[in-house]
Amino acid sequence: MGGWGAYSAIGLWTAVLENGWRPSVVIGYILFFAYSIALTHMLRSVIQRRHWISLPLPRVLVRLAAASIAIGAVQAILVVGVYTAIEGRLGVWSEPSSIVYLFLGVSFVAAIWAILYLAITTMRHTHEVRRHEMQMKEALTNAELRALEAQLDPHFLFNCLNSIRGMISEDPAQAQDMVTRLANILRYNLQKDRSHTVPLAGELEVVSDYLALESIRFEDRLRVHLELDDAVRQRTVPPMMLQTLVENAIKHGLDENPSGADLFIRARFDGNALRVEVENTGSLTEPRRDSTQIGLANARERLRLLYGEYASLQLTSRGEDRVAVTILIPATA
Amino acid sequence: MKALIIDDERIARQELRRLLAAHPEIEIAGEARGGEEALPLISQFAPDVLFLDVRMPGMSGFDLLQRLDDVPQVIFTTAYDEYALKAFEVSALDYLVKPVAPARLAAALAKLRPPAGRSRMEQVFVRDGERCWLVRVADIFLLESEGNYTRVYFANQRPLLPRSLAALQERLDPAAFFRAGRRHVINLKWVERVEPGAAGNLLVILRGGTTVEMSRRQSARFREALSL
Repeated sequence: MGGWGAYSAIGLWTAVLENGWRPSVVIGYILFFAYSIALTHMLRSVIQRRHWISLPLPRVLVRLAAASIAIGAVQAILVVGVYTAIEGRLGVWSEPSSIVYLFLGVSFVAAIWAILYLAITTMRHTHEVRRHEMQMKEALTNAELRALEAQLDPHFLFNCLNSIRGMISEDPAQAQDMVTRLANILRYNLQKDRSHTVPLAGELEVVSDYLALESIRFEDRLRVHLELDDAVRQRTVPPMMLQTLVENAIKHGLDENPSGADLFIRARFDGNALRVEVENTGSLTEPRRDSTQIGLANARERLRLLYGEYASLQLTSRGEDRVAVTILIPATA
Repeated sequence: MKALIIDDERIARQELRRLLAAHPEIEIAGEARGGEEALPLISQFAPDVLFLDVRMPGMSGFDLLQRLDDVPQVIFTTAYDEYALKAFEVSALDYLVKPVAPARLAAALAKLRPPAGRSRMEQVFVRDGERCWLVRVADIFLLESEGNYTRVYFANQRPLLPRSLAALQERLDPAAFFRAGRRHVINLKWVERVEPGAAGNLLVILRGGTTVEMSRRQSARFREALSL
């Protein structure tokens, strides 16, 4: 619109300067402005309906040229027609070369308009597509993260309920305490709207409830050692990750040493990164259970999705009879 | 009936004891914290029934059953409805989920068979890949030797047991199980009819249609045994 406006205004201006104010000239230019707008609008709707932006470039260029020539021709005919109708004579248009110049001029302007229009639309379209892709990717990552989040082991839940049932007559106060702790764990697990990371302090609370319950179930067979640097408590971690590592450590520790196993949980800074370690009595030579393999692979994948390549999870042997899982979480998050 | 409770958690064993107190016909002969501890107790007390936790550190419930020549009746106890228990095809067993409902326990106890003279093998635990069976010996109609292994035929199953035919036969009732030849032991209670074979031997046709060719020597013995 601006393009044709400027073109008409400049044309009108020069015409007035040359010939002074004449109604026919003014009317001619106003009409020219109106049908030029109409023609390019038509072209725009054709471009939209036929999806020119998704066509290969050579085919777009051919269409563009054809459209510009068509618009130029129609405009030239209209300009000459309107002039003749108002003035009652061909006047300046009696010279064929002037008609050719007119035709080339308006075709050129139409082509420029179409190219600009296509360029702007293509840019907007690419931007839109990219934004959509980003949204899709984010949604996918979210879904992946949710899917990878560990769920509470149902075995733990029902064994724990069984212990509570037994404890009710053996030690009612203890049974009450167990119910409270189990409620904390369930509440933490059932939070569906929590974010992908939580403060380590919160995760540690749930882990300590979990350990308290496991200690009641396993009695003196489970020896827990906590070595926590208080400064790291406000750092964030993926929820239920430490919990899963602790579950696995207890399972493996007791599997290989049914009479009793040690469990160490350590959290401290390693440079700027958070370093969390879960170590248990056991050896790497024992085949790991499938569920553990999946658990570790899931945890690793979650770290990758959340922190990229800067986070890590490693399973290592410690001396003769210890196995440790170490996770490193960078400071950025 | 003599029972053994096998569970790694003291509180769980205690809880089951408390529940079983309502059933005076069950006498708890002992408790074990796992498979390793249970093995000597089983040979010592020859329990009629095991209350067996499936998932235990070290030797699992299934591992334990595999180690037993003669498997008593088993009531599995498990915290969660495991796929492992669904792997049982023919089940002479029941299972209880923890925490155990008293009514459910009573129903499981009602299904127990009264203790038999426990001199002979009564059931055997068979695990073949993902599938498990607790097979009553009376349901086995044919045993077939495959090297150090024995194929056990029952219902429409034929899993492989990692024990030699000779070792198995030792534990079976000689009045019921008869050596038909080098590779076969048949259950006489499953014999439908006997036909003369081509080489002066006998063909045994079992219920269900399986035909076993007897060796000539064993055919003579078979005739002898029947005429007696």
